[in-house]
Amino acid sequence: MRQLGSWARSACAGFVRACAVFGAGMLVPAVWALAVALGIWWVDGPWLLLPVVIWGAVGTFLLSRPVSRMFRSLVGGWTGSAVPAGYRTVGSVVRMSTGYWWNGHSYERSRKRAREDAELRLRFTDPAAWRDLRFMAVAPLAALVAAVPLAGVAVAVVGFARAWPVGVLGVVVAVATAPYAWRPAVPLARRFLSATREMLLAERVDELLAQRADTTVAQAAEIRRIERDLHDGAQARLVALGLSLVTAEKLMESDPEQARAVMREARVGAATSLTELRDLVRGISPPVLNERGLVDAVRALALDCPLPATVDAPDRIEADPPVEAAVYFGIAELLTNAVKHAGAATARISLNRNGSALVVEVDDDGSGGADVRPGGGLAGLRRRLAAFDGTLELDSPAGGPTRARMVVPCGSW
Amino acid sequence: MRIVVAEDLYLLRDGMVRLLSAYGHEVVATASTGPETLAALLRWRPDVAIVDVRMPPSQSDEGLRAALAARREVPGLPVLILSQHVEQLYARELLADGASGVGYFLKESVFDAEEFIDALTRVAAGGTAMDPAVVTRLLSSGTANRRLERLTEREHEVLALMAEGLSNQAIARRLFLSDSAVSKYTTSMFGKLGITDDDGSNRRVLAVLTYLDKP
Repeated sequence: MRQLGSWARSACAGFVRACAVFGAGMLVPAVWALAVALGIWWVDGPWLLLPVVIWGAVGTFLLSRPVSRMFRSLVGGWTGSAVPAGYRTVGSVVRMSTGYWWNGHSYERSRKRAREDAELRLRFTDPAAWRDLRFMAVAPLAALVAAVPLAGVAVAVVGFARAWPVGVLGVVVAVATAPYAWRPAVPLARRFLSATREMLLAERVDELLAQRADTTVAQAAEIRRIERDLHDGAQARLVALGLSLVTAEKLMESDPEQARAVMREARVGAATSLTELRDLVRGISPPVLNERGLVDAVRALALDCPLPATVDAPDRIEADPPVEAAVYFGIAELLTNAVKHAGAATARISLNRNGSALVVEVDDDGSGGADVRPGGGLAGLRRRLAAFDGTLELDSPAGGPTRARMVVPCGSW
Repeated sequence: MRIVVAEDLYLLRDGMVRLLSAYGHEVVATASTGPETLAALLRWRPDVAIVDVRMPPSQSDEGLRAALAARREVPGLPVLILSQHVEQLYARELLADGASGVGYFLKESVFDAEEFIDALTRVAAGGTAMDPAVVTRLLSSGTANRRLERLTEREHEVLALMAEGLSNQAIARRLFLSDSAVSKYTTSMFGKLGITDDDGSNRRVLAVLTYLDKP
């Protein structure tokens, strides 16, 4: 009985899927059929062929991408593993000094026009577009197979009206083929619609170019910040210290009491400048990270944190120093957010290796509502992680709690 | 002397004012941005101004540009530029107008207060004062090095101090020599290099610096 139920369910689901495959696969043939019908209806003579061909070709071209997308999303949804599309994206459009917009191929009067032009060009030059077009010839095959259970239903409807054995035959065919008829669409879509190696590589190159630009900008900004901190901080304080000493020396003769006061100030200034230097050094490369590695550095960070933070980690995690630094500063940033913005009472940090990836989770019980805003600290963190192909996922509903998860692949375990 | 101090960091501005007061000079105005500096220089026309190179709002060479702009309005307005690093490039820009009364020093030169006040007085009087660090770099650059090979070690020392803007008397004091000995050195040195001597004036420094600067 239970088997019968599951069979019925799979037959129903299969029937729906077959309908979807049939619908999507027959769109282009339908356009051609419409063209032929209109041609026969309106035109007489040898000129009949030309408008039919033009109508069909344009329709096929325009439908190729939406139909391919439909197949990709259907198959991706049914099998649970996405079919990579590999479309190229339009590059950035820049405004030239002449006021015109340059899209890499031509100058246009407006940004919109330049983008449209680039998109149109891409439709013809993108290998993925031609692959989609080729699939338009393959899709009807999948639709034909998927049509079997539909045809069975049609036969049954007609058959019961005329002769009942034909109707029964139709029902049997429909029910027997329904669980299987949609399946050929899966290998066909995977074979003809997946991104080729070259497309994936081109995508990867685009991604890396963007990442490289981001990293370079971030690095330059960081170095400038350090220069400015030193220039206005420690360097200036040392000059001020010298100034105080010189003044005190001069005042010794005329006003010893004030000289002493100036020297006291100088001593305080020296202590402050040391603190500033220490903070700066810690911001560049935390000494404890160099001395003890990532796990102990994070433990030290948790101890310094104003709220009680627990660290759950193995004794040692080895990673490349740049990855360790990025993760360390990432945790520092998340903890700072927990204290400053979320007003959390406790935080929990966990570090683990999962296969060849370093997985770090920072949870807090604060008020949540954190999001990655462009130009914000979390966007910066995401960018720094992206340089190592790492990711930052954030789950922070308003009202809390916040859970941040950083995953960084590490080659050198 | 009536002095304007332009420095964006309160700590240093304050320290500088106290030091100058301790030496009995009057700070008539302070400025902490480029535009403020220019306005203060033109309004107060001080005997000498102490100007920091880097200042807000752009945190670039605002101070230097304000000083140069003020000197375009009031040629020869005495300005002493202070910075945490010295660049030959800036020194050249300061000297380029050929007018007198410029100085260019590292901030830590104030640690030797006597000499700093001395240089400040010299600039106020229309002289030139260059940080030894600038002069050292000028003297050690490739072309200067070749050209100065003919000088004796003593002549080299005298030339360096001259480039810093010291008069013959001051050089004599610094090197523990007699005035006439220094005169002898400068004469033979100028003879070797082909520069006209013009004692105690800003032109002499300019001549030396231009000479060292020639490609």
